[in-house]
Amino acid sequence: MPADEVTCPECGAALAPGGSFCEACGHRLPWSETSSPGAARTAVASSLAPPSACGKCTGTEFDAGGYCVACGARRPCGADHCELDLGEVAGVSDIGSRHHHNEDGMAVAVGDGFIVAVVCDGVSSSNRPDTASHSAADAAVRVLADQLARTVHPPRPPAHTDADEVVTEPNAPDPAGAGEEPDTHPLSVSDARTTPLRPTPSVRAVTAAIGAAGDAAQAAATLAAVPAGRDTLPNPPCTTFVTAVVTDRSLTVGWVGDSRAYWLPDPGTPDPPACLTIDDTLAGQLAAAGVPVSLDLPNAGALMRWLGADAVDTRPHTATLTPSGPGRVVVCSDGLYRYLPDAEDLAAATPEGTAYEVAATMVAFALRNGGHDNVSVVVMPYPAKP
Amino acid sequence: MNPVQTPFQAEVYQNPYLPAGGDVVDAVITVTSSGADVRALGPVSAAQVIMVDCSGSMANPPTKISSAMAATAVAIDTLRDGVEFAVIAGRAGAAMVYPYGPQLRIASERTRSEAKQAVARLTADGGTAIGSWLSLANQLFAGSRAEVKHAILLTDGRDQHETRETLLAALRSCEGRFTCDSRGIGNDWVADELRLVASTLLGTADGLEDPADLPAAFEAMTSAAMGKEISAVALRVWTPAGATIRFVKQAYPQVEDLTSRRAAAGERVGDYPTGSWGAESRDYHLSVAVPPGSLGDEMLAARVSVVGSVAGRAEVLAQALVLACWTDDEALSTQINDRVAHYTGQAELAVAIQEGLAARGAGDVDSATAKLGRAVRLAAESGHEDTAKLLARVVEVVDEATGTVRLRPHVSGVDAELTNVRSVKTVRVKKA
Repeated sequence: MPADEVTCPECGAALAPGGSFCEACGHRLPWSETSSPGAARTAVASSLAPPSACGKCTGTEFDAGGYCVACGARRPCGADHCELDLGEVAGVSDIGSRHHHNEDGMAVAVGDGFIVAVVCDGVSSSNRPDTASHSAADAAVRVLADQLARTVHPPRPPAHTDADEVVTEPNAPDPAGAGEEPDTHPLSVSDARTTPLRPTPSVRAVTAAIGAAGDAAQAAATLAAVPAGRDTLPNPPCTTFVTAVVTDRSLTVGWVGDSRAYWLPDPGTPDPPACLTIDDTLAGQLAAAGVPVSLDLPNAGALMRWLGADAVDTRPHTATLTPSGPGRVVVCSDGLYRYLPDAEDLAAATPEGTAYEVAATMVAFALRNGGHDNVSVVVMPYPAKP
Repeated sequence: MNPVQTPFQAEVYQNPYLPAGGDVVDAVITVTSSGADVRALGPVSAAQVIMVDCSGSMANPPTKISSAMAATAVAIDTLRDGVEFAVIAGRAGAAMVYPYGPQLRIASERTRSEAKQAVARLTADGGTAIGSWLSLANQLFAGSRAEVKHAILLTDGRDQHETRETLLAALRSCEGRFTCDSRGIGNDWVADELRLVASTLLGTADGLEDPADLPAAFEAMTSAAMGKEISAVALRVWTPAGATIRFVKQAYPQVEDLTSRRAAAGERVGDYPTGSWGAESRDYHLSVAVPPGSLGDEMLAARVSVVGSVAGRAEVLAQALVLACWTDDEALSTQINDRVAHYTGQAELAVAIQEGLAARGAGDVDSATAKLGRAVRLAAESGHEDTAKLLARVVEVVDEATGTVRLRPHVSGVDAELTNVRSVKTVRVKKA
């Protein structure tokens, strides 16, 4: 077998390039190359991969509706434990010790001049939250990979081109002013919270990705068998969403809900560790406004915004920053930060190592501390290689 | 297997949400056939046998035998050309009326006319042994390759010239080979016997108060049989490992417990017979016990398929899924689907009537009063006006809301039998 031949992680069959499913066993591949032209070097991976065996009875046959033909259990959209490793960026997700299902989704991508991390935490009080979280993460990373591949290091455009097709060449000012990333953004979340007047390619990609994630989460409601006499599933699937995008000169975050992105500086970088997101909870909003929050406040931690068919407000928060030196970005669900909410503490607990080693270590840390919730951690460096 | 393009439709009505530890899933499955030809092969082949009670009591009053003869003639006229048919005279034994030998004839203008002439010569003299009538019908059908085999049984009295065992043995040998609608006329028929025949042979049972109603009833039964498009339709129920079926009941148009009639059709799959279908709609109540799941779990508790033979091949004509989802949201898990609740009540109503009448017959006034009172209340609650009217002939209703009743001291025998034979008839949920 040639060394570079790609095989299905499920059955070992050789894979044709570009597919999302194994032609031999039908396994949904946890990763695939994006197909857009000019994105040949973009690698994408997501947690959207129904497990091959039933989690209840270990049966391996499922009917068209996704129910185990032996015990009837619904096949979830992702595994109880999932690892994604593209080298520079890696994520680990685990069911934890207390929950019966892993409802966290995640996705990663590495392209020419950019790295992407996505975490989605399915809301456990909704129905089939895994259908929303995995599909939202998967939809988002594909949009991000596609848009960033075309805008961060776009191929040189033809000599004459339509104005709206113009894309900026790296390090060259865009005559129309569109698509240009400003040189610097302050590394302060409160200052950077508002979307810049002229959105950067990263912000536009993040905004589009959250739109796609919202559509995917909304569509998840229609995947379920809706009982006769009802138009929709009660409590349709919903999920939080957070993404971080690094390029060679900026770090962009976008989110809806209470999953977080943290900045962890390397030694020698002057910017301190920081949480880059503001939770869409009463506690999170009050804290961001400088109001002290009583822990007794009822529903202080209740989610105020999410993605899903019953979501009312899905406008993404976005922020773009320019750290003054190298560091790492940790994108995670509350299964991790419930133990280490403070950025300084998280930085102190985060070891050196490859992205995968760090993600695996942080998930293990959460499990050691009780694993009260699903936990997902994606780690990547800043800056991306130019 | 994907359902083939068929006029059948199956819809599930259920609350799939269970609390932690919940392990019983109830669902009502509404199966509807638009009656369009599923086979695209022209009309289905059919055979019909009419069994007319010719016991001596049919002459008293003489309108009974004359109405039965008129009704049989109407039924013969309702048979379309090409249908195989025969008429049997029922006494202490069974005798061929038409044709003369023990076989079926193909309906045509000539044979219909011959048959009516033979029927016009019927005389009422002899006894009643329903099992022997059914056995002869069974023998006639055995020689036929018709897809829909339908019988009509008319009687005016108790099955007194054979043992109960003989009747049960005859029914066992007929089961699954033809369907039979049973009708009582006069004052002396026995509801339990008519229901037993109809239930075993997947037909309907009823009593007729006026012999003059007979021709219309015979025409309706024959038309319904002629309207059947597909025979030997079954409900195929798959349940997951660890699950048990608590019951499968037809819930509309009448209560019919099918639980014990399961025929294995593979691992974890059983077929429940539903007989022949024309353009009609029936409801089934399925109750499954499943292993309790964890909060957030979702499982397929049952897959209900309607299966029938199309052009000689078993096909899935429609399919519906019954789900179980465990939730800590009590607003979801405490709801009872209104159709499930309704048919649970209709089944209880049928049992309350039958048990109440049995207690009344045995002279147990207290039990009869309590059970029939409960029946009155259930009938009122579900808007089952026909049953409420019948119950009012047996009991004096003091307050229907609380089910307070007094047994009527003088009740004609036929009123009690009518109430009994119709106890299994159900109504559908009223549209809100």
